[in-house]
Amino acid sequence: MSEHRVIVVGGGLAGLAASIRIAEAGVPVDLFSMVPVKRSHSVCAQGGINACNEVARQQGYSEYQHFDETLIGGDFLNDQHPVLEMANWAPKIIDLLDRMGVPFNRSSEGYRDLRLFGGSLFKRTHFSGATTGQQLLYALDEQNRRFVSEGKVTEYNFWEFLYPITEGEGENKRAVGIVAQDMRTMQIRSFRADAVVMATGGCGLVFGKSTNSVICTGGAASRCFQAGAWYGNAEMIQVHPTAIPGADKCRLMSESARGEGGRVWVPAKKGDTRKPNDIPENERYYILEERYPKYGNLVPRDIATREIFDVCVNDGMGINGQNQVYLDLTHKDPDYLTEKLGGILDIYEKFAGEDPRFTPMKIFPAVHYSMGGLWTTYTPGDYSPSEPMPEHKPGNPIPVGNEQGHGLTIGAHNNAMTNIQGLYAFGEVNFAYHGATRLGANALLSCIFDGLCNGVSVVNYIRDENHAGVSEVDQSVYDNAVKQEQDKHDALLATTSNNNGNKENNPYQIAFELGEIMNNQSTVVKTAEGLQKCLDKIDELSERYKNVQLGDGAMWTNQSLSFTRTVGDMLILAEAIAKAGLLREESRGSHYRTDFPERDDEKFWKASVAKFNPNTGKSDIEFVPVKAGLVKLRPRTYGKTAPEKAETKTPEPANA
Amino acid sequence: MGAAQASIIGAEERKANRAVAVEGRSVIFKIKRCDGPGKPWRWESFKVPTEPGSNVISSLRHIAANPVTVDGKETTPVVWDSGCLEEVCGACTMVINGRVRQSCSCLIDEYAPREGDEIVLEPMSKFPVIRDLWVDRTRMFNALERVKAWVPIDGTYNLGAGPQEDHDHQQMRYALSECMTCGCCLEACPQFIKKEHEDQWESSFIGPQAISQARLFNEHGTGKRLKDERMDTLTGPGGIQDCGNAQNCVKVCPKGIPLTESIAAIGRSATIHSIKKFFTGK
Amino acid sequence: MSTHQSFMQRHQFLIRRLHSLTGILPIGVFLIAHLVTNSSLAWGWFALKGRGGAEGLSVSEGGVQYFAHEVTYLNTQVPHLFLIEVTLWAAIAFHSILGFYYAMGGQGNLPHYKHQDNFRYTLQRLSGYFGIAFIFYHVATLRWGWSFLVPNGTEWSHHWSASTLAAALQGSSEGWTAMGVVVSLFYFLGVSLLVFHFANGLWTAAITWGLTVSEHAQKRWGYVCAAVGVGLMLASWGALAGAMTVDYDEAQAIEASIQGSHEVPAEQLDVHTQNDGHTLQTAEADPEG
Repeated sequence: MSEHRVIVVGGGLAGLAASIRIAEAGVPVDLFSMVPVKRSHSVCAQGGINACNEVARQQGYSEYQHFDETLIGGDFLNDQHPVLEMANWAPKIIDLLDRMGVPFNRSSEGYRDLRLFGGSLFKRTHFSGATTGQQLLYALDEQNRRFVSEGKVTEYNFWEFLYPITEGEGENKRAVGIVAQDMRTMQIRSFRADAVVMATGGCGLVFGKSTNSVICTGGAASRCFQAGAWYGNAEMIQVHPTAIPGADKCRLMSESARGEGGRVWVPAKKGDTRKPNDIPENERYYILEERYPKYGNLVPRDIATREIFDVCVNDGMGINGQNQVYLDLTHKDPDYLTEKLGGILDIYEKFAGEDPRFTPMKIFPAVHYSMGGLWTTYTPGDYSPSEPMPEHKPGNPIPVGNEQGHGLTIGAHNNAMTNIQGLYAFGEVNFAYHGATRLGANALLSCIFDGLCNGVSVVNYIRDENHAGVSEVDQSVYDNAVKQEQDKHDALLATTSNNNGNKENNPYQIAFELGEIMNNQSTVVKTAEGLQKCLDKIDELSERYKNVQLGDGAMWTNQSLSFTRTVGDMLILAEAIAKAGLLREESRGSHYRTDFPERDDEKFWKASVAKFNPNTGKSDIEFVPVKAGLVKLRPRTYGKTAPEKAETKTPEPANA
Repeated sequence: MGAAQASIIGAEERKANRAVAVEGRSVIFKIKRCDGPGKPWRWESFKVPTEPGSNVISSLRHIAANPVTVDGKETTPVVWDSGCLEEVCGACTMVINGRVRQSCSCLIDEYAPREGDEIVLEPMSKFPVIRDLWVDRTRMFNALERVKAWVPIDGTYNLGAGPQEDHDHQQMRYALSECMTCGCCLEACPQFIKKEHEDQWESSFIGPQAISQARLFNEHGTGKRLKDERMDTLTGPGGIQDCGNAQNCVKVCPKGIPLTESIAAIGRSATIHSIKKFFTGK
Repeated sequence: MSTHQSFMQRHQFLIRRLHSLTGILPIGVFLIAHLVTNSSLAWGWFALKGRGGAEGLSVSEGGVQYFAHEVTYLNTQVPHLFLIEVTLWAAIAFHSILGFYYAMGGQGNLPHYKHQDNFRYTLQRLSGYFGIAFIFYHVATLRWGWSFLVPNGTEWSHHWSASTLAAALQGSSEGWTAMGVVVSLFYFLGVSLLVFHFANGLWTAAITWGLTVSEHAQKRWGYVCAAVGVGLMLASWGALAGAMTVDYDEAQAIEASIQGSHEVPAEQLDVHTQNDGHTLQTAEADPEG
């Protein structure tokens, strides 16, 4: 038994949850991360984590409704069974995190406090100040450290995943290890494993400035993609409505700011240059409240983003004509704000120089999350209604209980497994959960759920008697994989130009241009024309990348090399994202095509599946039916009122 | 610290600088560089144009894409560590104008408001350098392991909720739990001494970061089960007794964690722990 | 776990706590008593006046009278004086040597982190170094009779406590000399820094032992320590000022009268008489005197 090993790539919430679950089962884990795991991107999650709870339950909420909300939020592109299982696990996951010591905010009586979040009218979001992701990550990191100290987990911090090692072809292809590089010594070597769990997060950097950390390049996912793993719903990229634009990145302003009462508005009069606090209430246009009276500021992110975009870009009503709107919390008590949102308000103050407790924040949408990711499969659980259920109303009897095993068959080998045997995808890099838009505070849940629930599947898979151990795999498979990566590495090193080279071939310039075109053409509003332009640009950049020139030829801690290598992988992923977007000729969730503004269930109630074609170096896209059957399709409106242009609401100009 | 010291400035002055910052100016980055462990130090200066909202990260990125010094000499891109760029991951900590802080939240407008103003970047001095501004902070994670900074739960299967906790206690723990292992407190601590090799870590002062984390877990209903073991470590070599009460830690902590209160609280626990141990023999 | 830990390493915590403790008990307690006694040179007259015994005396003479009386009492009537002294010296030696060793282990960074607490951290160490030198000089010259370190070789005696102290500080029994200014300055710095060292040490000890945990408590205790420091500082300066303004001959006269009124065993008196003679001779033999 002890010869079995599992590799987990990525030390965020999903990777750590997997590592802990697998190590707990007695299987040694090798955990790879480009940063000390405590610095993983999960720290950036702010708002909270969703779960049904007793208070909400007594008001008619249920795990089932959480499931239903997640599906309508995702515009029915989610795989339905894992979402059901996830929603059912959610309250138990909160309990577990509580036991681990996460300092969830407390009511005055000492119960876990709750807040509102987008996509729900119930308080079902648990939180720890405004740095919930950080707190959850730390709790898992602490548990993982315990296993490290007991020798059950080996951490490889500052190691970059280069490629999965596989053997066999077609359906028999299975993962038997990885090639990785020490980012300090630049040593490249192979690691054997009976299963490999990818928990490598999203790909925000493909879009240049995003809310993501600098490590969220999508490089690792792209490498698996190139090794034959399929990539699902690549085009589904979430643009967060509220971020603080910056020179190096766009910093997230949590949805919890809206959950705690934040109001989004612009001056009702175009070109009003008064300071926000000088503009009276009746001369403000509260964008979301007027357009969505039922949900108001709590509409899902894609909708909020599009409306803000519409007001700024189409109507030109942004603050001072710029692409900015106000997110206003000044009507709330400053002490209340400090307790509930202190962390993010301080961040705003640090970067923008104004205290959001007293001055409305200026925000604009920014790329935030990738619903798409490595395509995965699963074995459904025992809940199988004779026909899909209609919309669930609060308080109605629930069609299925909250016990485990209704959504997924717990421990089935293939849960969250990619099309490559033994190669799993957990967390953001798993495409299954969030469909066409992720609801706020569901990301932390899906990451931890994947690790805990599907970690068991990994253990079962490697202990299967029919499964030959990797110790029997020939060493040459590993040596060849290392050689392939070493050659790639050496070839890049050989291009070192000492910057005498052409600026066109500078990797930073290529990455910058990629980010610019992707951000402009493949985010909030897409068109066939724009996406084609995007693909053409990617072609041009890929050509230039062939002649890329490195600025640093060092054999020690060469960040330039690592970045340049990743730019190549980002180009490949970007192509899949843009192409899938071009081929999906409808609008659904975050994917909004002005040339196809309606949802087209007939043709596109399907997941896009990108497969890498080694001959063309590009992706081939197929559309496969969404794994549904539990809930019936219905329109996604969030009670939008008839489109009203702001002008009609504009009051008489003030006599000023 | 051979750097020509650019002035170390306080919050008020930074605010004032922001108000007078000249648009479209260029500033000088003077950077202490080193190609790897055991290699010699050198200084290199770069001229970097600013844009609205420029920070040290965006400036270092500019240098990475255009690694040419003010003297026109071609050089290699500067290596540095970074992550979230929102001051929650702790990665991009470095010494800026002689004082440790995160580089992501270091706005150029606040530090160099006029054309040609200089900003000095150095790696943290208390940790072994990897290359340029990137240092190896493994010792901090090792310290967390030594003080058993975790709650000893009975596994990850569902066993119901954790211990109930009142509102004020949660607020206290949350404040401690915001520690992002950035190392500012250790860099500024005159008692925390750089040790290159792992076998020297245990006998040298562990520092406020781990002491405060030990307090965090001593304060948890289940976490306090390991309190005695934590206190054994913290009253052992390099423990709480090495604190010199310079209280720099609490002033440089970017998260405002009450580190000195943690030190005093652990001091109290240490007093009780050692007296108890003396009389019970455990 | 490294098994090759020295005794010092294994018992670091205990030794550090003893270090902290000795600073307060006995050293701090002695310091307070010492400064209270010595400052009577400045306030003795007022005390005498309160009892109606200051008639015909100037403030300075009253101080000398009170002080000389106190010193004689302490040196003749306190039981086991030698044991007390040895304990005190041992405590000071322990506190000094360890303190020196620990202070050398720190890396001050005041220029980069100019905070009030960091300033005190730095000054605590500097005052420790300086204090060690000062205490050594102070004890060696005034207690152990290493009079070759004193300008003009004045030797202190508890029978002629005020006058010989004044001579040691002023540089001679005939009034001020240049070396006397240096010695007095050294004393001024020494006592001031040691008082700071004690007051600040009292503040940090409360954190070390965990008495003041919250920031507020530390602040409040800080005010208490500052008050103690200011009080002791005034006492120490008073004592110095008193000693520096004492007129040697006047003091001798007063001290002689006190000896006369005291019932002192004959042989002890003899010893001191010889001593005194020596002191006077030295003073007279000095051509510059």
